[in-house]
Amino acid sequence: MINIRINLQKASFHLDADFSVAETGVTGIFGPSGSGKTSLLRVIAGLESQASGLVQVGEAVWQNESSYIPIPQRGIGMVFQEPSLFQHLNVVENLNYGIKRNRITVQSIEFESICELLDLDRLLERNPQTLSGGEKQRVAIARALLSSPMLLLLDEPLSALDKNARENLITYLEKIFQILDIPVFYVSHSSEEIARLADNLILMDGGKVSAFGPIEEVLSRMDSPLIELDEAFSVLECSVHSYNLPHLTSVESCGGGELLHISHITREIGQKVKLRILARDVSLCLSKPTDSSILNILNAEVLDISELKQGSRTVKLSIGGAKLLAKVSDYSAKKLALKPSLRLYAQIKAAALVG
Amino acid sequence: MLSNADFVAFALTIRLSLTTMAILIIIGTPIAWWLSQTKSKWRSIIEALIALPLVLPPTVLGFYMLLTLSPDGIIGASLSAMGLPSLAFTFSGLVLGSVIYSLPFVVQPLQTSFASIGQRPLEAASILGAGPLDRFITVALPLSKMGYLTAIVLGFAHTMGEFGVVLMIGGNIPGQTSVLSIAIYDHVESLQYGAAHSLSAILLVLSFAVLLLVYSLNKRVLLLGRS
Repeated sequence: MINIRINLQKASFHLDADFSVAETGVTGIFGPSGSGKTSLLRVIAGLESQASGLVQVGEAVWQNESSYIPIPQRGIGMVFQEPSLFQHLNVVENLNYGIKRNRITVQSIEFESICELLDLDRLLERNPQTLSGGEKQRVAIARALLSSPMLLLLDEPLSALDKNARENLITYLEKIFQILDIPVFYVSHSSEEIARLADNLILMDGGKVSAFGPIEEVLSRMDSPLIELDEAFSVLECSVHSYNLPHLTSVESCGGGELLHISHITREIGQKVKLRILARDVSLCLSKPTDSSILNILNAEVLDISELKQGSRTVKLSIGGAKLLAKVSDYSAKKLALKPSLRLYAQIKAAALVG
Repeated sequence: MLSNADFVAFALTIRLSLTTMAILIIIGTPIAWWLSQTKSKWRSIIEALIALPLVLPPTVLGFYMLLTLSPDGIIGASLSAMGLPSLAFTFSGLVLGSVIYSLPFVVQPLQTSFASIGQRPLEAASILGAGPLDRFITVALPLSKMGYLTAIVLGFAHTMGEFGVVLMIGGNIPGQTSVLSIAIYDHVESLQYGAAHSLSAILLVLSFAVLLLVYSLNKRVLLLGRS
């Protein structure tokens, strides 16, 4: 397990985090900006010397009341929001910087295989100034992994990139995470990245950890602060069903047997896909609309309705067992007389393929 | 055209400037690094102390140094207590005075250059396993090349042109403390304008050449950094 129980007081900000997550897989750290996500990573790395409390990764105690392991001895890989390659070294020298200083463990990933995985072979002799934003982050990720860390910390590595570069890098990350056998903490404020990459989820709000655990569990909890966020979302597991409609792919929700139509994708029939659906993109109707431009209208049952927050409520629905969140105004909730076990129709305006 | 004494003065000036510059780089580096990294409340006090020679008339600095170096002064008394010769009116005394006088010209460019690296490259190095000294040598130093170039040239050139401090604590001993600026002053005093001209022209051309070298290197380094 990774056990974190830390306190950090800054001028106008207090971080108070207490959680435990599994020592495997990718843990997404999600929350609005200013919620303390980056500070949390920095405390774990040891970059905030004022922080007090416990930082424990497996057997290794990096920090507790009586001890503080210096940063160079922690065995961390970290990739920052903006690329932080050494400008006076070329790519291969940047990659070697961590390899040379790794005293703790044997090389866990080989130089050749990481270069192949991240397509770095052409870039090795280049200077960082000549690389694009996406290339710089790929080198930074490789540099972090080649130092054979026990824990990889990624602080919004995609946020400084444009849309294409982001899409490109996220596919690299998916490849990397598949072969990686160390835990990863991935900070992001994008629900799409979290839904695609994370196995566990830590929710942060106002300097506090408000929920943590396996991602499906955290996402479907009604008391989770996620549902209050504008970015509240659910992940729907589906399998590819058919290609009968022009430019569209039909997928079937697992368990529910409901059909959804999404933009054309090239996957084999029967293959599993994951859809991320924002709660604000789901609307509710009591009778089935027949003349709507919205393609995806699913049979749903109300499971729970959240407390009123800022004029709106979040409704937890069951789509044949799968969970889906919908955000509606309090006025609409009253007009439709929403209550648990009510059967109705959920219209889905947009669904993003996340895996 | 130049007398033998002028050559001696010229050689002495170069020797003084090089020695002072070398010492300043060695002691200025840790001071500048500390100033660029610390959050201590002492920082402003140290910064103000180092900047003093920028605003004080050199004669004031020279006067106080003369007092401390004289056999009754703090440094002079402790030196003679240890059986060492006095520093006043010696080359070593001149080096000490020049180091203090030119300190801000070395510390300030180094400090600015260290500060402009920012914390991020140092944090990245630290996470990759580099300890404090390692980080300084492998990250901070190579990223501060321009700062060092500026510090070396300013430290050298500023020492070369000093007059007031030398006059106070060095006097005018040929081969020991009689530097170019003093020699020029002597020539003018004794109405030897021709000799004063030659020495002044040498100083002028030399200073220009050094600065020209720096600025052209500067441009190359800047271009290299951008490419």
